[in-house]
Amino acid sequence: MISPIRQWLLRNRLGMFTLAPILLLIVLLLFFPPDGAQRSDWAQFIGGFHLLTIHFPIALIFLVPVLEIGGRSRRFRHLRSSVEPMLALAFFSAIASAILGWFLARSGEYSGPLVLQHMWGGFFVTVFCWLCWMLRGRIARQRFDIAYFCGLAVTVLLVSFTGYRGGQLSHGEAHLAEHMPSPLRDWLGVSKQEERGPTAATADSFFAVRVEPVFQQNCVGCHGRSTRKRGLRLDSYEAVMRGGKSGPAVKAADLNNSGLFQRVSSPPGSEKIMPPQGKRPLSTEQIKLIGLWISTGASPNLADNAIQGVSATARPAAEATFTEIDDAAVAKQRAPFADALAELDKRYPGAIEYESRGSAKLTINTSLLGSKFGDDDLARLRPIYDQFVAADFSNSAITDRSASNLAAMKHLRTLRLMHTRITDATVLALGGLNELESLNVFGTEITPAALKTAEHLPKLRHLYAGETKITANRPLPDALKGKVVF
Amino acid sequence: MPDSEEIDQGAIANDSALIENSPAADTHPEEILARLQAQTRRHFLRSLSTGVGSMFLGSLGLKYASPVEASELNIDGTRRLDFRRDPTRPLSVLPPQFPARAKRIIYLHMAGAPSQLELFEHKPDLSRLDGQDCPASFLQGKRFAFISGVPKLLGSQYPFHQAGQSGAWVSDRLPHFEKHIDDVCFIKSMRTDQFNHAPAQLLVHTGNPRLGYASMGSWVTYGLGSENQNLPGFIVLISGGKQPDGGKQLWASGFLPSIYQGVQCRSHGEPVLYLENPQNVSRSLRRSELDAIDEINRQQYAEFGNPETITRISQYEMAFRMQMEATDALDIRKESVATQAAYGCKPGEESFANNCLVARRLAERGVRFIQLYHWGWDSHGSNAKEALNLGFTDRCREVDQPMSALLADLKQRGMLEDTLVVWGGEFGRTSMRENRNGAVMQFVGRDHNPGAFTIWLAGGGIEPGITHGETDAMGYEIVKDPVEIRDLHATMLYVMGFDHRKLNYSFQGLDQKLTSVKPARIVSEVLA
Repeated sequence: MISPIRQWLLRNRLGMFTLAPILLLIVLLLFFPPDGAQRSDWAQFIGGFHLLTIHFPIALIFLVPVLEIGGRSRRFRHLRSSVEPMLALAFFSAIASAILGWFLARSGEYSGPLVLQHMWGGFFVTVFCWLCWMLRGRIARQRFDIAYFCGLAVTVLLVSFTGYRGGQLSHGEAHLAEHMPSPLRDWLGVSKQEERGPTAATADSFFAVRVEPVFQQNCVGCHGRSTRKRGLRLDSYEAVMRGGKSGPAVKAADLNNSGLFQRVSSPPGSEKIMPPQGKRPLSTEQIKLIGLWISTGASPNLADNAIQGVSATARPAAEATFTEIDDAAVAKQRAPFADALAELDKRYPGAIEYESRGSAKLTINTSLLGSKFGDDDLARLRPIYDQFVAADFSNSAITDRSASNLAAMKHLRTLRLMHTRITDATVLALGGLNELESLNVFGTEITPAALKTAEHLPKLRHLYAGETKITANRPLPDALKGKVVF
Repeated sequence: MPDSEEIDQGAIANDSALIENSPAADTHPEEILARLQAQTRRHFLRSLSTGVGSMFLGSLGLKYASPVEASELNIDGTRRLDFRRDPTRPLSVLPPQFPARAKRIIYLHMAGAPSQLELFEHKPDLSRLDGQDCPASFLQGKRFAFISGVPKLLGSQYPFHQAGQSGAWVSDRLPHFEKHIDDVCFIKSMRTDQFNHAPAQLLVHTGNPRLGYASMGSWVTYGLGSENQNLPGFIVLISGGKQPDGGKQLWASGFLPSIYQGVQCRSHGEPVLYLENPQNVSRSLRRSELDAIDEINRQQYAEFGNPETITRISQYEMAFRMQMEATDALDIRKESVATQAAYGCKPGEESFANNCLVARRLAERGVRFIQLYHWGWDSHGSNAKEALNLGFTDRCREVDQPMSALLADLKQRGMLEDTLVVWGGEFGRTSMRENRNGAVMQFVGRDHNPGAFTIWLAGGGIEPGITHGETDAMGYEIVKDPVEIRDLHATMLYVMGFDHRKLNYSFQGLDQKLTSVKPARIVSEVLA
């Protein structure tokens, strides 16, 4: 004689076996809940698939009532035989999605009541889905089973609820209400926030000129149109004022209750600081700008120049980044002049060098060769003139005979001719060096006549004219003011 | 078949060639006998044991050696930069990873840690509270070298004023320097985790508070080589009457080949001791002597392949070339009297002023990294030399004019464009007056404060006239933009054209780098 429980267990051996993933899920959710802490790239990568796989259980579960109702008619009776495998599929895909969802939740972007509701909703979907499957296998084919029917109804309701919460998580809390037509909105009693909300900022306002660029540069990567961590967007004035899941980010004229300001001005190393640890914190100047904007009323149209005591340019520094060198591309760029360069390198060892490992541009420094380097040597470099971006011929024996050759180095940014015998003629010939930023004629016989060319060099920033006949006593042309170093 | 005949003939020809070339066949039997007799039992045993040993090592190598492809990658999967050179020219120039903003570095290290509160940190609140007990929060969890009990707050000993267009605050101790204040960038939020001189200096100079790591200058010289093959790429000059506490390890090459270590030159007398030829030894005699030694060393290298042998050869060769060049480069008497006066030089003495002028001369000659140390900034107040109100003023006077003249000189010659100048100590000093053994001391001084200190940078790639970072109203802790030593290193290497993670060297299973293992950030706010 076998006990009825044992009998039921035997019959549902498969069912018992499938309880294991549910237990796993319970352990994961109870002992490792989403806590907002950043996890490894793997967790984030795997978690990303949650958004893809989640659509399978949703579609499959919604199919079940369709099949059940359709199957009641005699004509579509065969549909009912697919219900049980359908439930099994739905259950397994729900389990898989739930585990992926757990990965996503643990990846660090999410925490708070919304994600918890979504999480437990998802969990109970799997539980009820399993129950329905078990019950469906138990009941006789013809009979109407009240427990199964209720279970199915609860499952469908749970899927709807969980799906809605999930949508809120990834598209923002008001994703359904946002574009709801107003008649429907009135009927449902949903108020449209935007209507009574703030208006757009004017283009020349303090916000648009000073504050928004700070957000653009530092925040919108995570709080922008496509990624809205914590539901917060900072890509427009409206969005900033609307705030995120934990309420408005900015409260006009109240720094203490403006979460955004509290976050960005947290001491470095604190848990609350935004941008988060590992990212570049805002500069003192940038925080000051945001603070000023909020404390003066977080206005959309306060004129840029209305606030005193702000420096003219808030210089945001771009984070230093590196790109991997493409060896093949570099070799290709260098190939056309490689032979000429190899020969010159043999003749003047160590003088010519690439600007960098990733560049085909060249620099030359003959200052250590001294008088061993002269006009004829300079002429020998002709095949590679175009490649030079920096040239230092200081202390060399070059004279005005080299003027035309120097002028042919069209891409020079820096040219040093310290302690050489060049005269004004050389400088006057350099008018075509449109990229020249720095010209050094320290300790030469240059006179103020040479300034005529120098003042027309479009990019020139520095002219080093110490120990020449150009002195600080004589007034300089306007274009060279502040550029000549004596 | 004609074909096979040809092949056979060829094979025979090959065989005979083999026989002819083999050492046993091309000599007279008596020679063979002589060679065999020269082979002793010891020779036999030696070659036998090395043979067995190399067989064992070879099998290990096959088993454990990682494939070549893997070693071409850094740990983060990016491609490793290639720093291999012709072994006989270890200082040859290599291009930087990406276009560099600076080609060389002059590092002015103020050994002993100058007080930022007497130079650049204007804290009126601290002066207001001068003499009051310091708050308990300043002492909690802190370790001090000498402070005990509850010390008193100590306001700045000198009046402050704003200078230049940037309006940076500076005390009255640096009257020359303040004229160049718009050329420098202050970092007021430097931080270290070492509160004793030697480890803190090691951290600043080698990126690690322990012995055995490569110094900044070694890394830079390793990465870029040196433009001048007649001078070391990394030169060290010392003043202040004492070596820095960290000793010669501060310019050691650590695990890098020792050719990249700093060479200490003297700023008075012979620049490098024993560089000159002894009496009655001519330069040509020295040359032939070196040739003989080199030949022996080359044989040694051929046998054992130890790269240090190559280092030795190139050191001898460089010393020979330096006999001409170094004497000239380090002789400040070659500068005009006006220039010497601008620096405040006194030729023949050991002084920071002389070293600053030498630094410029070395920079002009393409030396990659010029490191100056000036000792005497450890202003505890335990004696007159270490007192903020006495010795400190002397130190300021010793460095103020020379470092200002150096900045002016580099700027005038257009060299500030591509020379990075760094000034700073190894940590800061406390906002509290030192009370050694809990007693009021005779002289005024401050204890070590690793929590905040000020450095300045100038030149290549650095935005002039700005201040980065901020400390609290007492100048005690950082409240904004902390910069770790490794961040400074990463920034310096960035200016020199390197991603600090890529300038690395495999040693003890780790891709060793100046910034060590913790993540470092390039302080992009100070970059031009």
